[in-house]
Amino acid sequence: MWAMRISEAEFHPSESRLEGHPSMLPYVARRAVWLTAYLVLVLAPVLALLLGDVPPARGFWTEFSSAIAYAGLMMMGLQFGLTARFRYVTEPWGEDVIYHFHRLLSLVALGLVIAHPIILFAIDPARLRLLNFFQAPPVARWAALSTYSLIALVAMSLWRVRLRIRYEIWHSTHILLAVVAIIAGMIHMIGWGFYLVDLRKRALWIGLSIFWICLLLYVRIVKPLFILRRPYAVTEVRKELGDSWTLVMQPHRHSGFRFTPGQFGWLTIWGGPFQITGHPFSFSSSAEVADGRVEMTIRNLGDLTSKIHEVPIGRRVYIDGPYGAFTIGNPADMHVLIAGGVGITPMMSMIRTLADRGDKRPVVLIYGSGDWESITFREELKALEKRLDLEVVHVLLSPPAGWEGEKGFIDAEVMMRHLPPPYRDHEYFICGPNPMMDAIEKALGEMHVPLAKYHSERYSFV
Amino acid sequence: MRRLLAERLVLATGLIVILMSALFAYLRVST
Repeated sequence: MWAMRISEAEFHPSESRLEGHPSMLPYVARRAVWLTAYLVLVLAPVLALLLGDVPPARGFWTEFSSAIAYAGLMMMGLQFGLTARFRYVTEPWGEDVIYHFHRLLSLVALGLVIAHPIILFAIDPARLRLLNFFQAPPVARWAALSTYSLIALVAMSLWRVRLRIRYEIWHSTHILLAVVAIIAGMIHMIGWGFYLVDLRKRALWIGLSIFWICLLLYVRIVKPLFILRRPYAVTEVRKELGDSWTLVMQPHRHSGFRFTPGQFGWLTIWGGPFQITGHPFSFSSSAEVADGRVEMTIRNLGDLTSKIHEVPIGRRVYIDGPYGAFTIGNPADMHVLIAGGVGITPMMSMIRTLADRGDKRPVVLIYGSGDWESITFREELKALEKRLDLEVVHVLLSPPAGWEGEKGFIDAEVMMRHLPPPYRDHEYFICGPNPMMDAIEKALGEMHVPLAKYHSERYSFV
Repeated sequence: MRRLLAERLVLATGLIVILMSALFAYLRVST
């Protein structure tokens, strides 16, 4: 259910610049640094097993199976770091890439962990008796527990929707299974004793495991404590066109935070920040508001989003943010914002910010909606067209009688009718439902727009 | 396309990890 909401709330980060952070390394360099750091963190503890006193070597495949098991465990542990929402880590990639990376890496880690016993069974089929959980020695049982936990964790993530598991239940179970998989795997390795007989190596691996668990505690306990000290109060709940509501939130006894237009925050409305999940929403307000006030515009898509209008004025809410690598691009380039439905929210933040800054860069907003009455921010956009170098092109699925504007879906022809060539020189920001995103990416390919010129970030995390 | 980036990264990471594990095993049996 929630995945539906977040898949609609997509936005588009530019990848090369971040306003307000002129000293930051270029994203490409930061990506290279983090990728190298990741590989070093996975492989260095494995290769460290070769140092000092090492036990006599076994056959190649036995040693290979041990190495992939150690690497698999290390990758599992680093998963806690990937989802700890460290801004400096996620910024160069975008949250969607990090989460997709996280999901796919879990498959690789699972493959490595499962390949470990399969190789050993192939070398010596007598070891198959270890699969008998009740008769196997404890050291093998821990391995089985770790592997089964990891299989359950991956299966629940892949088929959560099909299995009809509620997001909150899935998330709690996901964390529990991850902790069990790592601790059981570590006990198996120490119990087997081969490489970890050496006290220094054992200390290294136990230390790393403690570090991963501490990361989890940081995300679930320490960070919420900080968020708890910086609550927001709902000052207005405003009805918008398109079955949407805007929550206006004012920092309560603190100065708030600064964000760049297009970023998002994890919002917790009901319950406190210790609750296992907040929900991600883009900010729709201007980034230039001086008093720390932030707004989120939320469309009723069922689940939590259907209750936004019930939020009472004065309600204490919590925002973990800002996140996302979004920024307005190069002022010299025409900005083409392509929004579908509630995907308008980050675009609105961008346009409102340009208006507050008096920034007259050329902007074309191509905005797909169901019908005339479901165009969120319709009147405000009309007013902003007079203040900015902004052209709004509405594309309606069900236009009213006599409509002379664009109809149907946004495609290459619609874009080419409203954009000046050469199309490859503009910067494109796309935000909308997944099918729309896919269609636009295809259309931009037909228009020979290079990949580097368009930006998107999807929020179908699970 | 951004998902493609993540997929390429994972593929590269998996390959490097497997190759380094093979190197680990090779170093063990050859020394």
